[in-house]
Amino acid sequence: MWLKWLSTDRIECRSPAPDDAPLVIVEPVKSALRICALNDVAAALGLRLGMPLADARAMYPSLHVADADPQADHALLEAAADWCDRYTPLVGVDPPDGLLLDIGGCAHLFGGERALAGDLCARFQRQGLRVKIGLADSVGCAWAAARFGETRLVPKGALRDVLLPLPLAALRLDGDIVSALAQAGLKRIADVIDHPRAPLAARFGQEFLRRLDQALGREDESIKSRLPLPSYVAERRFADPIMMEADVLGSIGHLARELGIIMERRGQGARLLQAALFRTDGKVYRLEAGTGEPLRDPARIHRLFAERLTAIGDACDPGFGYDLIRLSALVTEQINPAQTGLAGNDHSAELAHLIDRLSARFGSRRVTRLLPCDSHIPEYAVAALPAQAVRLEFAAAPAEQDSLSQARPLRLFAQPEPVEAVAEVPDGPPARFRWRHILHEVVAAEGPERIAMEWWHNAKGEALTRDYFRVESRQGARAWLYREGLYQREIVSPRWFLHGLFA
Amino acid sequence: MTAGASATLGRLRQAVAKIEGQETDLGIAVRALTFGVPAIDASLQGGLAPAGLHEIAPASARDLGAAVGFAFALAARVAGDGRSTLWIQTDFAALEAGHVYGPGCDLFGLPASRLLIVKVVRPLDALWAMEEALKCGALACVIAELPKDGAIADLTATRRLTLAAREGGGFGFLLRHRPSSLASSAETRWQVAAAASRPDAFGGLGRTAFALALTKNRRGPAGLWTIAWNHHERSFQALSLGVAEMAFDRPDRMPFARAG
Repeated sequence: MWLKWLSTDRIECRSPAPDDAPLVIVEPVKSALRICALNDVAAALGLRLGMPLADARAMYPSLHVADADPQADHALLEAAADWCDRYTPLVGVDPPDGLLLDIGGCAHLFGGERALAGDLCARFQRQGLRVKIGLADSVGCAWAAARFGETRLVPKGALRDVLLPLPLAALRLDGDIVSALAQAGLKRIADVIDHPRAPLAARFGQEFLRRLDQALGREDESIKSRLPLPSYVAERRFADPIMMEADVLGSIGHLARELGIIMERRGQGARLLQAALFRTDGKVYRLEAGTGEPLRDPARIHRLFAERLTAIGDACDPGFGYDLIRLSALVTEQINPAQTGLAGNDHSAELAHLIDRLSARFGSRRVTRLLPCDSHIPEYAVAALPAQAVRLEFAAAPAEQDSLSQARPLRLFAQPEPVEAVAEVPDGPPARFRWRHILHEVVAAEGPERIAMEWWHNAKGEALTRDYFRVESRQGARAWLYREGLYQREIVSPRWFLHGLFA
Repeated sequence: MTAGASATLGRLRQAVAKIEGQETDLGIAVRALTFGVPAIDASLQGGLAPAGLHEIAPASARDLGAAVGFAFALAARVAGDGRSTLWIQTDFAALEAGHVYGPGCDLFGLPASRLLIVKVVRPLDALWAMEEALKCGALACVIAELPKDGAIADLTATRRLTLAAREGGGFGFLLRHRPSSLASSAETRWQVAAAASRPDAFGGLGRTAFALALTKNRRGPAGLWTIAWNHHERSFQALSLGVAEMAFDRPDRMPFARAG
């Protein structure tokens, strides 16, 4: 598929200028502004690609001119590719202005290849994009047919006949090779197709022959898909676009049922689900929901997406409605059926579903389990991992206990809070300290517990040794304080921090 | 499943459990949470009511750690049946009172492996998550920590939470950072203050002690108690009560005992 007028269409869609005004896009080439894209009206006036802007202006002073913006063009191409996902999951981008669609096996869903091409053209036209389509058994031939061909739909087995009259540029060759071939008098594909291969390869490079083979379908060329290919897909099209959130969720529920049936046949369950909402005007929203355990229960899938939609809120604007909703299972896993006892309710499935729902609502990084880590630095001794990812039961290492109180606090501050403390030098515990404007008189203290930074966390040697104290105030409040730096060995006047709270 | 069928299934489950000598989940769910301190249990008519909402707040700003610890202690007593505990915390509450620290939880008697943590941005989200979690019934207890006085948890919100707890059968604890004067439908309301611990034989820190004030109790009178938490046995013990004012001058205690 070739979006020949990509840049000009992009501008014409947005600007109120009449369609019949000549428009050219210019970019600086070798210190001169040259035309790099133009619309049909401009072409009819005799303007050509590569023409300096000054010449064009001299011919037509009223010419509309815009600067080239390759990034915006590419973004539009990506959006178009996203939208083409409605026809086939295998969509590749062929920069700067092409899209590759593999419609093998799915054309019959749209009433055949010809109907699919017509539908695609018509829908793009409505969005203000004009496309040229080439359809063939090989990527190379389709590319050539879209850009140079007389016949756009190449019948099966007719690759060679279609390619013969086309110019050599249709083989996706570099400009240098084409001009070198032209100097040798080779202009059309017919001129080279039956030539002995060895001399051609010697003179014009292996790349030339590879392109020729690809166009003729002798060498396989696969389309590199933009998005990961889902294992299981269910989709629904609407003659009348739907807008209401309840309708969208209802459709997702129906699709979940279909998807569940397909997955059940294979004994699979989804770990990552995606609902793609295709808006009529070409925008596509993709909502993803992950699960901790493989899942195929339609009611649960429905609830996950209900949470997801609520969490996204207004960012998902239905506009004029969605005309296609697709639910796909991006990551699947084997579900091992387990015999549950009759004596008790099985809470683990309920809990897994709760974790999924909370993760869908708040994001999986906010629903965590605390995993012990092998480090004696307090802040590195525990890692908060997404609860969906932690599946094994882990046993915490028995902690050392040297008194009736706990050796570690219940609460740890992400940033240790500086406190003013009075303490004996060089290494006595604090006698009193002031934290958040409240003065605490220390009546009992345990410590010091000396913790030095691990050398691999301390490449610059900046982190100081900490002396931790567990202190109890006169009122009974307990805190975990530390003195940063060894007195007169690492630092002149050590500072005090409050790192955690005990009960 | 129709109502009749589920009732039959419930009867069958209990019959099977009786044969196998196990206790059913139903049995655990209806069991109240006892303190093991006769005075408190009598006041609560047997312990904290299950399938209900309870509120905890520190008596003053310096008692925040004690209130958090009391909530952990209750969670540790509930968690005995193997189900998980969910701790919901708003970002601001974490900034004010610190993040839940796994190694500390392990030492306090609540295994961190049974702890699920949800961090939310708005207090409203915390209430929503708490309601969902209470309804689901897979958790032993759900604790939501709200910054300041948690004004968002008003009568309507607590009523919703109470209904959710009744549906799921778990304990719900609402931990406010300041005592609230708002009406609430919670079963009980506690104001927790830190209490001076009894030092051990070597002058080190003793067991964590709480000065509890039960300010609202639907099933009995309010009361004041001072109790200590034994994290090994996950049990409370009454400290000697009401004899005299807490002694501020304690010459028996060495000012700075070294340990470790």
